[in-house]
Amino acid sequence: MRAPAWIVPALVVAAAAAGVGGARLLAAPSVVRDFAAHAPGTATRRAVFVVDGVRCVDTAERAAGQLAGVPGAIRFTAWAARAKVEVTYDPAVTTAEALREAIEGPVHDDSTGEFRFGVFAVREVNGVEVESIRR
Amino acid sequence: MKRLRLAMQLAVMVAAAMAGVRFALGRSVTTVETYCPFGGLETAYAFFTRQRFTCAAGETNLALFIALLGLTLVARKAFCGWVCPVGALAEWEGKLARRLFRRPDLTGAWRVPARADRMLRVVLRAAVLALVLGATWTTGELVFRGYDPYYVLFSAHGHDVRAWSYALLGGLMVLGLLLPMAWCRYLCPLGAAIWPLSAGGLLRLARDERTCTACGACDRACPQLIEVSRAGIVRSGECTLCLECTGACPTDSALELRWAGGKP
Repeated sequence: MRAPAWIVPALVVAAAAAGVGGARLLAAPSVVRDFAAHAPGTATRRAVFVVDGVRCVDTAERAAGQLAGVPGAIRFTAWAARAKVEVTYDPAVTTAEALREAIEGPVHDDSTGEFRFGVFAVREVNGVEVESIRR
Repeated sequence: MKRLRLAMQLAVMVAAAMAGVRFALGRSVTTVETYCPFGGLETAYAFFTRQRFTCAAGETNLALFIALLGLTLVARKAFCGWVCPVGALAEWEGKLARRLFRRPDLTGAWRVPARADRMLRVVLRAAVLALVLGATWTTGELVFRGYDPYYVLFSAHGHDVRAWSYALLGGLMVLGLLLPMAWCRYLCPLGAAIWPLSAGGLLRLARDERTCTACGACDRACPQLIEVSRAGIVRSGECTLCLECTGACPTDSALELRWAGGKP
């Protein structure tokens, strides 16, 4: 059966749209790290950050390392392709702002033993641009 | 249709370049590799075994790869001929080579004998695919980045792009002039991955022997060097459905797009 020529670009566009639109169905994190167990029944909160510098599994692991030992940080989840980090925390102990500061803090470089500054910069907190928060 | 294809190729190329530059300037957190379906294949193993993504690959890569498989099952390698910016550049280089070397077709300065061409298309591309996937799945890193013409060209000096990456890209571009579409024909791992599905694609070009004058215009127009004029139905897994052949055909209805299995 004869097919019209326009079917080819139409299929290409449909596939591209399906690929971009269908990505949500496949959402899975690049890194998940649990820092501390929280007592059942305790209220927790989640803060979502967009972090410049989180671009792969390695850098996401390093960002998780920034929160290891931070009181109140319970779970770290990162989606490296979107530079997105979600932190579950105990609001009685810490705040989203404190977590942001911990992420942006100096990063210990294991190979040189020195601290490096400006490795991570938080761009958004819970959907709000950090620049607008600072203003 | 020729203009529409050119417009789509240019649009993808501009979008990729803009994505690379915006990331490099810090205006976006999305890198150009987010939109590469091959990244989906690279991360598929980690996703289906551990529900995690590899390195910088993510759900968009995987979803685009799955969509590409669906597209290929129907429209063969249409992705290569209508979307892939590396494929577009290779094709334009082929047209430049035709002028430079005054060839009637898109063969360039070097001609590879048909048998060697078939062998190289299968063996070399499969070897590159196996090597890239093996290294990626073993190390958990996107090891192909520095070699990938798409990433080197459009990432605006992205992560893992070194001086040798540009040297390699330059070498591939020179090779593309001497042997047009060399990357696509002999090295592209994504092309190797979708080739088996493409060969069974539902849309096919069919030649009507009653109206065909065997002028060979279709052969000369084909960027993939498929001998369309010798085939009743083009079953080659290399066909990108670019429709250059139908556009070049001087006879009405001698060359048509048809659904596989349908009645003529």
